[in-house]
Amino acid sequence: MPEEYLVAQDLHKSFNEHKAVNGVSFAIHKGEIFGLLGPNGAGKTTTIRMLSTVLEPDQGDVTIGGHSMKREADAVRNLIGVCPQELALYVELGALDNLVFFGRMAGLSSQEAKEQAKTHLALVGLEERGKGRIDKFSGGMKRRVNLAVALMGHPELLFLDEPTVGIDPQSRNNIYETIEGLRDKGMTILYTTHYMEEADRLCDRIAIMDGGQIIALDTPHELKAQIGPPEQVTLEDVFLKLTGRSLRD
Amino acid sequence: MIQPRLVWLIALKDLKLFIRDRLALFFFILFPFMFVVMFNFIYAGVGSEDDRLVFHLVTLEEETETALSYQIIAAIETPDESALQPGESQVVREDDYDELRRQVEDKELGGFLAFPVDFSEGIYMGRGAEIEVVADAEAVSYRAALYGLADGISSWIGANNVVEKAISELAKEQAPAILESIIEALGGQLIAGEPLIEYTSEKVGEVEAEQPSNFVIPGYLVMFVFFAAALSSEAIVRERQNHTLERILASSVRRFTIIGGIFTGTATKGLVQMIIFWAVGILAFNIDLGIAPAAVIILSFLMVIVSASFGVMLATLVKTDRGAGSIATLAALIMAPLGGCWWPLFITPQWMQFLSKVTPHGWANEGFNKLMLFGADFADVAPEMLALVIFTIIFGSIAVWRFRTAAG
Ligand SMILES: Nc1ncnc2c1ncn2[C@@H]1O[C@H](COP(=O)(O)OP(=O)(O)O)[C@@H](O)[C@H]1O
Ligand SMILES: [Mg+2]
Repeated sequence: MPEEYLVAQDLHKSFNEHKAVNGVSFAIHKGEIFGLLGPNGAGKTTTIRMLSTVLEPDQGDVTIGGHSMKREADAVRNLIGVCPQELALYVELGALDNLVFFGRMAGLSSQEAKEQAKTHLALVGLEERGKGRIDKFSGGMKRRVNLAVALMGHPELLFLDEPTVGIDPQSRNNIYETIEGLRDKGMTILYTTHYMEEADRLCDRIAIMDGGQIIALDTPHELKAQIGPPEQVTLEDVFLKLTGRSLRD
Repeated sequence: MIQPRLVWLIALKDLKLFIRDRLALFFFILFPFMFVVMFNFIYAGVGSEDDRLVFHLVTLEEETETALSYQIIAAIETPDESALQPGESQVVREDDYDELRRQVEDKELGGFLAFPVDFSEGIYMGRGAEIEVVADAEAVSYRAALYGLADGISSWIGANNVVEKAISELAKEQAPAILESIIEALGGQLIAGEPLIEYTSEKVGEVEAEQPSNFVIPGYLVMFVFFAAALSSEAIVRERQNHTLERILASSVRRFTIIGGIFTGTATKGLVQMIIFWAVGILAFNIDLGIAPAAVIILSFLMVIVSASFGVMLATLVKTDRGAGSIATLAALIMAPLGGCWWPLFITPQWMQFLSKVTPHGWANEGFNKLMLFGADFADVAPEMLALVIFTIIFGSIAVWRFRTAAG
């Protein structure tokens, strides 16, 4: 039985009567890449915001590394790194400045923050661009900086909310490689996406989300095997079969 | 609760962002001084020879060796009008009480001081005396100036009162000799410490500024420190929309620390503004901070703090950065004239002076005017300082209560 690093129990969140997340429970094993796959509006971001302590659930609790999010938010925050769906960066500042700043916010000393900033920038292939202002970067480069910031402080659990939305193939491949490298080093990762190829390639297990609920949870292979020979079907087909709708709309 | 180092790091980041913003910088420093130069020019007329403040004094006593009022008038009367500096006030001795009274009633004259028939007697007998202040009720500032002069005279004669008001300072300089002789003449009575002259005076004596920059600079300091701080709410809201605040929260930073950091960043900008204002004011405009410069500095510091807490509060009350920008501009441009930043409060009617007190500006300006124009000392501006602290507490509490890191 693999170690459960994150356990989410019966999470609920409504925004003005609208149930964005409606009773979500799952567990993430230590060292795996766990995917949340679902169309826009499925509730992925709302789930991640609750898991990362910035949004209070209406109901339910989360334990991360043995700490309850409700009672030990500080302890939880020390274990996690978040790459939000939007670029949460100071675009008027340089890439290194951003990394160092968020590193300090994560509790690093000035020295540590500078060292890690350089390492992480190199990891996403931007070592040459450290001084450049973010607002002069391409969309893909910004995404890579967004990811690098999430790595500051060497979190044990990384939340990646659609980190590859709308970027060039080169940046996308760089991000894939970075994530796989992190997994190989033992990091636990929660990855949300609405691209089924991406989920298929990267994730060890996938929860398919729709309408604020998890409608299926298994390895990509098993999910596909439920509807046909895994080599011939896609996760798209799985979603279609489960909901009667396509993932893309 | 609060993580001080992180507070400062957040503030530093805000300052870094701020200096990258050319437009904000321009608005922050150059723009205010365009106003200062312009208004200094406009107000330069105030206190010029034509607008010279003239005090009329009359006594009803008989002219005898011992008639104190004659000595007093002789001591402070302006001997040679042409020798007066621009803006210096003039003291004129008059003879006809009834004629002066008619002039005041007909609004030809703002007012005058009169010594009653038994003035000297009252003082010599130790039962006290009165100085009559006859003034047009509408001539607010002139009336106040008369009270200031009466206060000054009383202070001399009483000698137990420290002469602290601007006008009495002026008068005292011209008559140290008579002061001594009066004290001598009155001997023991004075040492008893009872004030010998009574009059009603609610205010520190108020006169027109002799140097316009003495009220133009503080006025614009107040206006622009507040304006800039209010506008910084725009940047705070933008951070909420950009998700950077939420990202800071998801690091190991507590809510209070984030609020503290934002507040500190805004306040630091205000402090820089304040230092620039006073430095330029002193070096380029030759302003006079009065007898209690520390009070001037503390008052400006409090204005910085009030403004920063207003900025943070505003950010918590609006949804969009545009909303923040327009409300900040509106609030700053309404509160500035209301609070006496554009013209001195003491030339405005009583109801406007009253209304000014709903703004922090009104209190700050009143404090600066007292200190820099009317010779008040530290204790005199305690109410203004307290008022600013109360505003800070109100704005700050709302900010802390309403603060959130996420949009929507
Ligand atoms: N702050 C918010 N206020 C109101 N509604 C929200 C808010 N955040 C999300 N929602 C709504 O909740 C639902 C789920 O949104 P989200 O979690 O962003 O989905 P996903 O990330 O899967 O696209 C959507 O219908 C969205 O409009
Ligand atoms: Mg989303």
